[in-house]
Amino acid sequence: MFTIVRLTLKEAIRRRAFLGTIIILIALYGLTFLPRAFKEAFGGSEQQFTVGVNLMILFGVDIIKFFSAVLAILLCAGAITGEIERGYLSAILPRPIHRWELFLGKWLGVMLFTYANATVWTAMLWFSVLIQGNPRSEMWSALPIVLVYPTLYGTLALALSSFLGTSIASMFTVAMGAFAYFADHFLRPIAAFFDVRILQQMVWLSEWVLPMAVLKRLVQDRVDAIIPPGMGDAPPFGREEVLLFLKPPVETLDTVYVGAYLLVWLVVGLTILQIRDVQ
Amino acid sequence: MWAIETRALRKVFRPLLGGTPIVAVESLDLQVPLGGVFGLLGPNGAGKTTTIQVLIGNVRPTSGEAFVLGYRAGAVQAKRKLGFLPEKFQFHDFLTAEEFLWMHGQLAKVNPKRLRKRIDEVLELVGLAERRKSRIREFSKGMQQRIGLAQAIIHDPELVILDEPTSALDPLGRRRVREVIQYLKEQGKTVILNSHLLSEVEMSCDRVAILNKGRVVKQGTLEELLVNRSVVTLELKQVTPAVLEALQRVAVKVDRIDEHRVVAEVASEEDVPLLARAVVLDAGGALMGMQAKRETLEDLFIQTVEGEGK
Repeated sequence: MFTIVRLTLKEAIRRRAFLGTIIILIALYGLTFLPRAFKEAFGGSEQQFTVGVNLMILFGVDIIKFFSAVLAILLCAGAITGEIERGYLSAILPRPIHRWELFLGKWLGVMLFTYANATVWTAMLWFSVLIQGNPRSEMWSALPIVLVYPTLYGTLALALSSFLGTSIASMFTVAMGAFAYFADHFLRPIAAFFDVRILQQMVWLSEWVLPMAVLKRLVQDRVDAIIPPGMGDAPPFGREEVLLFLKPPVETLDTVYVGAYLLVWLVVGLTILQIRDVQ
Repeated sequence: MWAIETRALRKVFRPLLGGTPIVAVESLDLQVPLGGVFGLLGPNGAGKTTTIQVLIGNVRPTSGEAFVLGYRAGAVQAKRKLGFLPEKFQFHDFLTAEEFLWMHGQLAKVNPKRLRKRIDEVLELVGLAERRKSRIREFSKGMQQRIGLAQAIIHDPELVILDEPTSALDPLGRRRVREVIQYLKEQGKTVILNSHLLSEVEMSCDRVAILNKGRVVKQGTLEELLVNRSVVTLELKQVTPAVLEALQRVAVKVDRIDEHRVVAEVASEEDVPLLARAVVLDAGGALMGMQAKRETLEDLFIQTVEGEGK
C-alpha cells in the first residue's frame, strides 16, 4: 500500500500541484494589506486595525479551506476510473495487491499531499499575521478542523471516481458541495425567517448530502476562540428557534457524524472498486 | 496441474443503461500446460482479451471457473506468480526505467536486495541497460513496449501473459521479444502469447488455441494442428481429363487453374511424390514443374474461423 502512497505523491508533484501551492501562498501573504487598509478606511484607530487582522484570519482560513478542498477533488476525481481509462492501472492491478490497498493507498497519498499543503498555507497565514505585530498562535487549533474539508471532498471524489470518469466525478462532488453551501448560506436564512417547511427540510437534507453546515459550525467554534465576539454571529433578532436554526450549537455528535459520513463514502468506494470489472 | 484452466467460463457484459448484453466469452474450456509458449488466437471480438482479463483478475466471470497455477483467477497467490504485459497501457512516464522497475518490483513484493540485482538482469535482457536512468517519456514506442515486458518479468514469475507484445515493434524489436520469450521458455516458464501476428505465433509457440465467438474451436500443438497438409502447384504441358482423374485418386482436392496448371491438396507431405507418379505414370502426362507449399498457421486460422461461419 505504501508503494501506492509514494506513487500518488509523486504523481501529485508531477502534475505540478505545487505551483498551486505557491500561488495560494502568495495570495495569503497578499492579505497583509487588509489590516492597514481597514485602519485607514475607518478612522485609523488601533481597534479598526485589530478588526482588519481578524478579517484577514477569517479570509485566510476560508482560502485554505476552499483551495485544499479543490486540490483534493482535483487529485481524487481521476484516481480510479480516470486512471483505468488512461491505462495507468492496467499494469498495476494484476500485481499481488488487494484492490482495497490500491484505494486506501490513493486516498492516503492525496490526503498527505493536501494536508502538507494546508499546513504550509496555515504557516504562511500565521506568519502574515505575526508580521502585523499581532501574533495569533491559536489559529493552529483550527487547522485539524480545516483539514476535514479536503478529507471530506477528497473522500467523496475518490468514492465517486471508483465508478465515474474524472469529469463526472468532479462535477458530482462540486454539485453536492454547491448544494450544501447554497442550502446553508441562502436557504437556511430564508427558511428560518419565513418559516417555510419545505425549505427547512431541504436544509436538513443538504446536511445529509454533505455535512458542510456541521463543518462550518465546528470551524466557527475554533475560529470564535480567535475572533472576538460579534463577528460571524447570527443577527441579534428573531425568535429563539429561528436563531437556533440559523446558528445551531456545536454538538458532540457533530464530529461523530462527520466521521461516520467519511467512513460510509470510503466503504462505498471500496465496495464498488472491489466488485467492478476493470478494463 | 495446469498453468491455466478454465471450465465453462462465461462472461456477459451488461450495459449500465440497458441495451443488449454482450456475450464476450461463451462456455470457454481451456487448458494450458505448465512450461512452453502457448498462443491465443482468434479474430477481433473472439473473447481473447476478456479471457486474459478474467485470468489476471481484472474482470469477474459471469459463470464458470478459471484457475491460474492452481489458484482461483484473481487471487493474490496467483498474481504473485503471474507477470502481465497489457496491450493498451500508459506507464508512469515521469519515472526513469530503473524507478519504474523498482516500483513494480515493490508492488510484486520482491525483496529489495534481490530486486536491485533483478533490475540489472531484466534491463540487460530487454536491451535497455544503457537507458536505465532515462525517463520513460523519452523512450520510443518500441522501447516502452520493452520496458513493459521488463516489468512483466521483474519478479521472475512462473507464468507470463503477453497481450500483443510485438504490435508496436519494428522487425529488430520483434526479434528481441522473441529472444526474451525463448529465454523464458528455457527457464521453464509458461508464456501465454496473445497476438494477431500469426507468423510470430508460429515462430514462438509450441501450442495454440483458436478462439471464435467466445469458445475454443481448436486447441493443440502446432504439429497436431498443422497436419502435414500440403498444397502443390503442378505445371504440365497439357492438363487432360486423364491427368485430372489420376490426380483425384491421390489428392484431397484438385483445382484446374488453366490448361497448363493444376493445384492439388494432399493430406500428407509424403503424398507429394505420388502426385508426380500419377501424372507421369498413370496418366501419361508431361510434368514440367512442381511447387509444394506446407499449410501455415494462417491457412489453418482462416480455414477454422471461416469454417465457423465468420
